[in-house]
Amino acid sequence: MSEKIQFDVIVVGGGMAGSTAAAIAAREGLNVAVIERGQKPGGKNYFGGALYTHSLVDIYPDFFDRKPPLERPVTETGFWFLSEDGMVKATVQGGHVNSDPIDAYVALRAEFDLWWAEQAAAEGAFYIPKTLVTDFIYQDGKVIGVQTDRPEGDVYAPVVIICEGVNNLLTQKLGLIDHDLKISKTALAVKQLISLPAKDINARLGLPDSKHGMAISVVGDVSMGMPGLGFLYTTSNALSLGVGVTLDALEETQIKPYELLQRYLEHPAIAPLVKDGQLMEYGAHLIPEGGWTTLPKLYTDGAMVAGDAASMVNAIHWEGTNMAITAGKQAALTAIEAHHKQDFSAKALSAYQDRLGELFVLKDLKQYRKMSAFLKNHPDFMDIYPTFLNDALGMFFTGFGKPKGKLYKDILRSLTKRRPLLKVVGDMIAFGRAVTGI
Amino acid sequence: MIHLLVSVKQVPDTTNIRIDPETGSLIRKGVPAILNPYDAHAVAAAAEWKKKLNGKLTVITMGPPAAEESLKECVEMGADRAILISDRKFAGSDTLATSYVLAEAIKAIDKEDPVDLIFFGKQAIDGDTAQVGPGAAIRLGIPLITYAVEIKEINLEERYVLVIRKTERGHEVIKATLPALLTAEKSIAEIPYASLPDLINSLRYQPENWTAEEPFPYDPSQIGLKGSPTWVAQTGTPEAHEPAETISVGEKGLTGTVEEVLKDMFANKSVASIWEAIK
Repeated sequence: MSEKIQFDVIVVGGGMAGSTAAAIAAREGLNVAVIERGQKPGGKNYFGGALYTHSLVDIYPDFFDRKPPLERPVTETGFWFLSEDGMVKATVQGGHVNSDPIDAYVALRAEFDLWWAEQAAAEGAFYIPKTLVTDFIYQDGKVIGVQTDRPEGDVYAPVVIICEGVNNLLTQKLGLIDHDLKISKTALAVKQLISLPAKDINARLGLPDSKHGMAISVVGDVSMGMPGLGFLYTTSNALSLGVGVTLDALEETQIKPYELLQRYLEHPAIAPLVKDGQLMEYGAHLIPEGGWTTLPKLYTDGAMVAGDAASMVNAIHWEGTNMAITAGKQAALTAIEAHHKQDFSAKALSAYQDRLGELFVLKDLKQYRKMSAFLKNHPDFMDIYPTFLNDALGMFFTGFGKPKGKLYKDILRSLTKRRPLLKVVGDMIAFGRAVTGI
Repeated sequence: MIHLLVSVKQVPDTTNIRIDPETGSLIRKGVPAILNPYDAHAVAAAAEWKKKLNGKLTVITMGPPAAEESLKECVEMGADRAILISDRKFAGSDTLATSYVLAEAIKAIDKEDPVDLIFFGKQAIDGDTAQVGPGAAIRLGIPLITYAVEIKEINLEERYVLVIRKTERGHEVIKATLPALLTAEKSIAEIPYASLPDLINSLRYQPENWTAEEPFPYDPSQIGLKGSPTWVAQTGTPEAHEPAETISVGEKGLTGTVEEVLKDMFANKSVASIWEAIK
């Protein structure tokens, strides 16, 4: 029988939350194990989107000097509203977007997570890859370690930080949440990474050079009448395009995810952007979008949960990675404090929730708590208004030689034939409430 | 006590490879490097026999510093000692130079601690040459068994190994005197799922580093580009075949179809001239 494998902290999962928690705890001198089921950290990741500078610099003040594997900075961002055959763009560049450092960078997390893990390893965290955590080890009802799928696979630590990602089986096992993923609160995002020469990307999107990039939320026809959002991000020499919709909508409509994506890529406004591109990656990933409504209890005796596993995603603002980083850090700070006091009880670890309550993470999740219900109850919200916007602007700028009184009536009718005015007012109030949380 | 040795290579995961359409070269970025699968099975087989005969397992590789990762994987499977032979001077080595370097390294290890059985994968999935293992056997002057699918017996008293090898016509059972060298098919052993303590050991293990000078010098004329009579002039993807033409027999009838095919054939000048010559 070999010796008991003992650490001060076990982190389950080497994603953003996990590697952040590991770095902060290891920096404080704690002996940290990160158990990752993939071949390497990032190996299970499919994210091609924007990372937010504020959270990255918070963990490593010299973040940019470490040569992170970032793609382009986001110098233009905003909405593209798609109708069936048209598009209205509302994007912003310069001004607030042109900050120093730039607020957001496009990254491919398969690559970035590995690098992020290497930074944590340099702080002293010990990575155990290719190993799946299957359950916990308890003593007197308290978590004192984890079981893995390997022979002689038990690992012990007085505190476990669960950063297992969207499919939060361990969080469920621990009883922190009483149900499996809900299809109405979980989105499936399908994505293609399409390689193109940088000069073509720049020319097609009107970017001055490869040091400029875009992060676009695409709303409207892209989700085929389902509650969902499309996206477009620019990497150095590829476009990351995809669309996410809730699982229950997919089930109800029986639309196949790849059909949804294919239709998006064939849209007359999108197809010219990806023309002659080479498909590099094709895949899909689940996103927990329940936010506050599916937030588990964040701590128990000997364990805390952070990141996607804890539904820490704000879909409307494309936030998730930054929440994971912030939560990972706060969990680690709580673990450090627990080690100082040698108290790993739920009561001691409740400080983790208090810390998050003071920060944007829980504040925002709470504020947006009505959003998923709003989208559920207004399934065509993301269809009617983008289409109306296209009609309205389209008619306004082509209304030549017509009496303008009729033009405005026509514009109004293009809305009211889809949605009576009173309901429009109701939609706006409900949407306002969903956003502001009032 | 038996001493087993496996020579491995780190390769790009060719199931994941892309060619840059502009330059025709491999896109290395984002392509994971893996332990050559045949080598992994060879290590698994060696580890099984090491356990069975309570022996020792040494693993060597020649490659860039990153190949250390693949050696750690071998330690995870049960290797006791791992040596990375790495030097800029080896860059550009073809199979001739590589087999020289590996054979010399094996000789040096053998001098310290005699080696009984040497394993190579049957080929690497990046070059597919299947030359380095046999090359090393010739240089070492020991029996060679290629395409080994099963080791039936290793007899240390009588100094022989009994191996089943795959041929085009079936299986051959080969008895060879030790020391011998075999190149392994995947079926030689299943990749084991290491215990957690073994995995952790491998993660903490630091392979030894050998260079073109240390612990012994190689003949500079036999390594790197200088020692390599072959080199890769160009790589690329083959052109896709034109889709076949479809002629509807229903529309044209059998005779009409044959006539049309023949007409098309004779439109090709070389076919016509061959036909003339035969006539």
